[in-house]
Amino acid sequence: MTVDLPHPTVGPLQRMAPEPMRLILNWGRRYSLWVFNFGLACCAIEFIASSMSRHDFIRLGVIPFAPGPRQADLMVVSGTVTDKMAPAVKRLYEQMPEPKYVISFGACSNSGGPYWDSYCVTKGVDQIVPVDVYVPGCPPRPEALLQGILRLQQKIAAESLADRYTPHAPVGPIETVPVLSTPTDLLRPDGR
Amino acid sequence: MAFPGSGLAKGLAVTLRTMTRRSVTAQYPDVKPELPPRSRGVIALMEENCTVCMLCARECPDWCIYIDSHKETIPAPPGGRERARNVLDRFAIDFSLCMYCGICIEVCPFDALFWTPEFEYAELDIRDMTHEKGRLGEWMATVPAPPADDPHGARAKEVDAARKSADRAEATDAASPDAAKPDAAPSGGDEPAVDT
Repeated sequence: MTVDLPHPTVGPLQRMAPEPMRLILNWGRRYSLWVFNFGLACCAIEFIASSMSRHDFIRLGVIPFAPGPRQADLMVVSGTVTDKMAPAVKRLYEQMPEPKYVISFGACSNSGGPYWDSYCVTKGVDQIVPVDVYVPGCPPRPEALLQGILRLQQKIAAESLADRYTPHAPVGPIETVPVLSTPTDLLRPDGR
Repeated sequence: MAFPGSGLAKGLAVTLRTMTRRSVTAQYPDVKPELPPRSRGVIALMEENCTVCMLCARECPDWCIYIDSHKETIPAPPGGRERARNVLDRFAIDFSLCMYCGICIEVCPFDALFWTPEFEYAELDIRDMTHEKGRLGEWMATVPAPPADDPHGARAKEVDAARKSADRAEATDAASPDAAKPDAAPSGGDEPAVDT
């Protein structure tokens, strides 16, 4: 059962905003990234390490422990995305408010990593949600995540949201994926 | 917890203790981290050493190394025959797949691959994560010097063997300083027999 929703926009203000205004909007957006950690495997440990006092990504304006995806701006997918988990990843991504960003952290979520040949592993989280920054490593160092965040902040600083959300822009996921694309596909009639 | 307020005093003692210490936070983008020796950041390629033996690509558990090559024939020198030589066309490592096991570096018989501690190569596009040989070659500048030998460790066998043969050559030279050159050849032939 699909519901037709209007295409997400961030209002006329952003589209009409003159350059200085957009600069301020982008500035605010990039230094208050409420992050939502999708920890699926060992990379999540490195994510936790970078949120703790040693690396402390609050210095960069990344605020961990958002109450839920509806309050988050940034999703960090760290770990192996299995086909079983993929609908949940997609669903939680869809629950995040616009503008939203995704960092794919580690080899498994970049492209399946060592499990790319497995029957049950999604070959990269970018097959189900659009990814902004790919952080390489197996697992990456906490500093590598910090660098990925810096890279994302550069990208946010340079972007104009009107371009990001124009209907012809390829923001949607690639459709030629064998994973089940909606969470309802997984549910059997008896709810299992 | 005998008297009221002792818990508060305990908590404040912890606060005071940590207040006098320096913060442990590393200031990463401003201060580069001090990485441990032999840290595995990225793999560098010394293209000149690669002979396209394909050992790394075959041993890679992820199959994330792509090698293309062709054969080139070196024209025959006078009195010789012509020889074939492999020429590397493409050497790429897909760092979105790589699991950083280092097997390619271990198996490389000609030391063409090296670990580098660099980790700052997050990309906006997945296609940029495949580093072609030009980019892998650029990482060579960041390869650290090999760590010094353990002072209490055993010496490498090669060093001992080289020293032994050098000492023996010196001894034979000292024993027969006026020996003719043909004499040296049989003694050189004897040496492996003595060793075994």
